[in-house]
Amino acid sequence: MAACIVPESDSIRRAVSLLNAVDSGRFPRLLSRLLQKLHLKAESSFSEEEEEKLQIAFSLEKQDLHLVLETISFILEQAVYHNLKPSSLQQHLQSIHLDQDKADAFASAWAAVGQDTIEKFRQRILTPQKLETIGWQLNLQMAESMQVKQKSPRAILELGVSNEDSKNLKKVFVEFSHQELFEFYNKLETIQAQLDSLT
Amino acid sequence: MAAVIGKSAAVVYGHGENGSGRGGGSFLGPRVPAEVEAMARGVQELGKETFRRLLKVTVNALEGKDCKESVKLIAESSNLSEEQLAFLISGMYTLLREALRLPLSTFKQEVFKEDLKELRIPEDFIVDFSSVVFGNRRPDSEGMALKQGSRLPSVQDFKWRVDVAISTSSLARALQPSILMMMKLSDGTAHRFEVPVAKFQELRYNVALILKEMNDLEKRSILKIQD
Repeated sequence: MAACIVPESDSIRRAVSLLNAVDSGRFPRLLSRLLQKLHLKAESSFSEEEEEKLQIAFSLEKQDLHLVLETISFILEQAVYHNLKPSSLQQHLQSIHLDQDKADAFASAWAAVGQDTIEKFRQRILTPQKLETIGWQLNLQMAESMQVKQKSPRAILELGVSNEDSKNLKKVFVEFSHQELFEFYNKLETIQAQLDSLT
Repeated sequence: MAAVIGKSAAVVYGHGENGSGRGGGSFLGPRVPAEVEAMARGVQELGKETFRRLLKVTVNALEGKDCKESVKLIAESSNLSEEQLAFLISGMYTLLREALRLPLSTFKQEVFKEDLKELRIPEDFIVDFSSVVFGNRRPDSEGMALKQGSRLPSVQDFKWRVDVAISTSSLARALQPSILMMMKLSDGTAHRFEVPVAKFQELRYNVALILKEMNDLEKRSILKIQD
């Protein structure tokens, strides 16, 4: 692809030279670790301690280490965005003068988990609330304060809705009679028909 | 002695089950509520017109409607004191509410009329009460139960949308469908959330499963037992 996936800026050039100097042995592991956490937004992949260990392992200063990690993440995010094939990723990396062995490492890591990573990004949604869990209970209501000697089946649906801000799951409880549940089901079937018509 | 105990036991545990020979109470329970007794006494001197108006107000109250105006009108046009109105209406309300709690399949008109006779309510009025409980003027119990019943909120309004994300900040070509649901519940709360396609399938599967379970339950013999 002619499109410039990784622009040749000063920071990129500096990052590349740092990367080329880094020990190749541990490089693949670093790549897979970064790939694992790529789709998680705010989390940084490494804790303070781990960063210090990395500094020692790769003999990089703190700032240089940050630059290296950010550059690798950027390259991988671009690979996700453009849905690059491993071979074209390798070509791009070679065009910014990354060493052969490092480019190979990128290509094989990407070949291994690239599609999964893209899938994880696909699943990411922008709405703050998402349905996470579904639970239910089927009861046979025998009586209530307004009416005795019923025998009406009632379903209780528990929907666990996550909120991006808080870590807690909001539980929404909804009760259905047989008829109400049947109507709800018909609406779900309509949605399914719409989904089917997309493919 | 044993016969008396037997009778009261029957009254407590078997609402309106047996035929004759019960002590007072029956569908109203072992002890007739005070307001019903007071009403039964007070209603004897009522004119038919006034009684019918009071009955109408009671039925409206049972359906959850606001009756302040109508009660005021009755108070003005009849010569009943506020106190009399109070126990007349509350007595009628309790009587009808208790009668309406029992399902029509097991609670028979004759039994109801018998019980009212025992309270010494005039024949005409028994007929009127009867037509409210057993006739087609029967207040909508489902509607009542929805408003006053103790139950979890049900879905009042359900809106949905199927979107396809073509491109996002992380993916040039996403082409990922997703479903947005907005549920308004009967307790006034509204919930809007996204449902990933896989979760939607899970929801659909579970709802179908519950429906199947409900069908099986309704066919089982426990529901066919008459009580």
